[in-house]
Amino acid sequence: MGFESLLKELAGKFDSKINGYTQYGCNFINAPADIAKEVLKSLKCDYGFTYLVDIVAIHWPKKNEKFELSYNLFNVDKKLRVFVKVALAEPEFETVTDIWKSADFLEREQYDLVGVTFKGHPDLRRILMPDFFEGHPLRKEYGLKDRSWFNSVDEQNLGIKFTK
Amino acid sequence: MENISTKDNLSEIITVNMGPQHPSTHGVLRLVVDLDGETIVDVRPDVGFLHRGVEKLAENRTYHQFIPLTDRLDYLSPLSNNLGYCLAVEKFFNVKIPERAEYLRVIFAELARAASHLVWIATHALDIGAMTVFLYAFRERELILDMFEIATGQRMTSSWIRIGGIREDVPPLFLEKLKEFVSIFDERIDTYERLLTKNRIWLKRTVGVGYLSKEDALSYGVSGPIMRGSGVDFDLRRDEPYGIYDRFEFDVPVREEGDIYARYQVRVEEMRQANRILKQALEQIPEGPVMTDDPRVAMPSHQEVYERMEALIRRFYLISKGFKTPKGETYACVEAPKGELGYYIVSNGEERPYRLKIRAPSFVNLGAINKMAKGAMVADLVGIIGSVDIVLGEIDR
Repeated sequence: MGFESLLKELAGKFDSKINGYTQYGCNFINAPADIAKEVLKSLKCDYGFTYLVDIVAIHWPKKNEKFELSYNLFNVDKKLRVFVKVALAEPEFETVTDIWKSADFLEREQYDLVGVTFKGHPDLRRILMPDFFEGHPLRKEYGLKDRSWFNSVDEQNLGIKFTK
Repeated sequence: MENISTKDNLSEIITVNMGPQHPSTHGVLRLVVDLDGETIVDVRPDVGFLHRGVEKLAENRTYHQFIPLTDRLDYLSPLSNNLGYCLAVEKFFNVKIPERAEYLRVIFAELARAASHLVWIATHALDIGAMTVFLYAFRERELILDMFEIATGQRMTSSWIRIGGIREDVPPLFLEKLKEFVSIFDERIDTYERLLTKNRIWLKRTVGVGYLSKEDALSYGVSGPIMRGSGVDFDLRRDEPYGIYDRFEFDVPVREEGDIYARYQVRVEEMRQANRILKQALEQIPEGPVMTDDPRVAMPSHQEVYERMEALIRRFYLISKGFKTPKGETYACVEAPKGELGYYIVSNGEERPYRLKIRAPSFVNLGAINKMAKGAMVADLVGIIGSVDIVLGEIDR
């Protein structure tokens, strides 16, 4: 099963709502947000993509659909890698923890750093930043040298002191 | 933290904190462990103590400037990290890498794998109580680090693999030392195996402990030796070959048992296979340039800069402004010692990545620790952490 035939089958299954392309040696599938979860489920159950490698959230403040998720899936038997891309107007999407357990950590990380909420995730907490951190550092509006949060921590007297 | 809670009349669940300053957590890992007597009921990892915001920094640096930061992810095998990143950037341009550079990349990556596995066998055995292996394994690791120092000037954090090739050719002494090393390394692995493989205490502590089934291994997304220790026959070097790995003959060790002992066997065999690849690379390595002459990405050599005005301008431009990548997204991954290390780069057509995501193998592997440790004894938790082989620099990024 190559990427072309997979794409053809998926297009037949989902009424041609999805499309795909190959760029710089990687295979991408665009799926609309309302059927994306079904596409992901079908890829695992019907096409053997049992290994969820990674989830990437991207912030596009200048586009209409301001957020984008990219699911990196691998079929271990057929050695095929595809990326399922989902464009989102709001930073909110359904969880895939019920399909792949690795999504637990991966979704928590994207929630923490980019601020995409995954509905139905069993334990959606911050993972890399401290629990009392405010904001999402990988959003484009968050400046590289933004110290406002560190300064406000001093005022809140949380017992942690940061030097400026 | 959490209070001591009573589940029912018979058993009392006690919550114990482990780390972040704990010698056997291999860095600043904190685990919150729920115990029923001595049995583990639940493990909740708490990470992020070493978070440096590498992905945010990447968005503010040129493509060349990011290479030193990749060294500091998995600091036990910096050269594999360089390799993965450079492969991802090279995908944008479809650069042709010179033959000698390709061979040197393989040599560096396999030496990094051997060095990383040597640290693993040393510290893992030390955690469980076998002190001697530590001293032997570090002796061989020292040989590898000496070789890195001869070639790159640094023992660790070498930043030696660059976009388009290798920074500079290796001195003849490096290949001599490497020849010496590959001739003794197999015997040295036998030494470790004599100390551990049939050792009764080692077997008691590892066989059947930290079990992860094949289905769970795939579902939890673990990669590298843990995945192969659970019966998944998958290695990126063979199944999605990058560089020139398709030219080498090597076996991918797979064990079905899924316990700590299976992971131990897989990693030991991987060291032998790394040595096998090194021997083949040493035989086949050709003479020639080590940096591509593709003007879009290649940094002109020092010699050229001294002799030609154009090269000087080119070098100045690349260092002060960087180069632009075409628009689009790409992903490249390597079989790092810990598992699948991937770089997902989104480019906006500028000199800096628009978004860079690092798929760190240790981070995903740590997600399965709850599954492995549930039902085990609290003393086995140390062995399970050791068998996952985590590096916190990579988890926290």
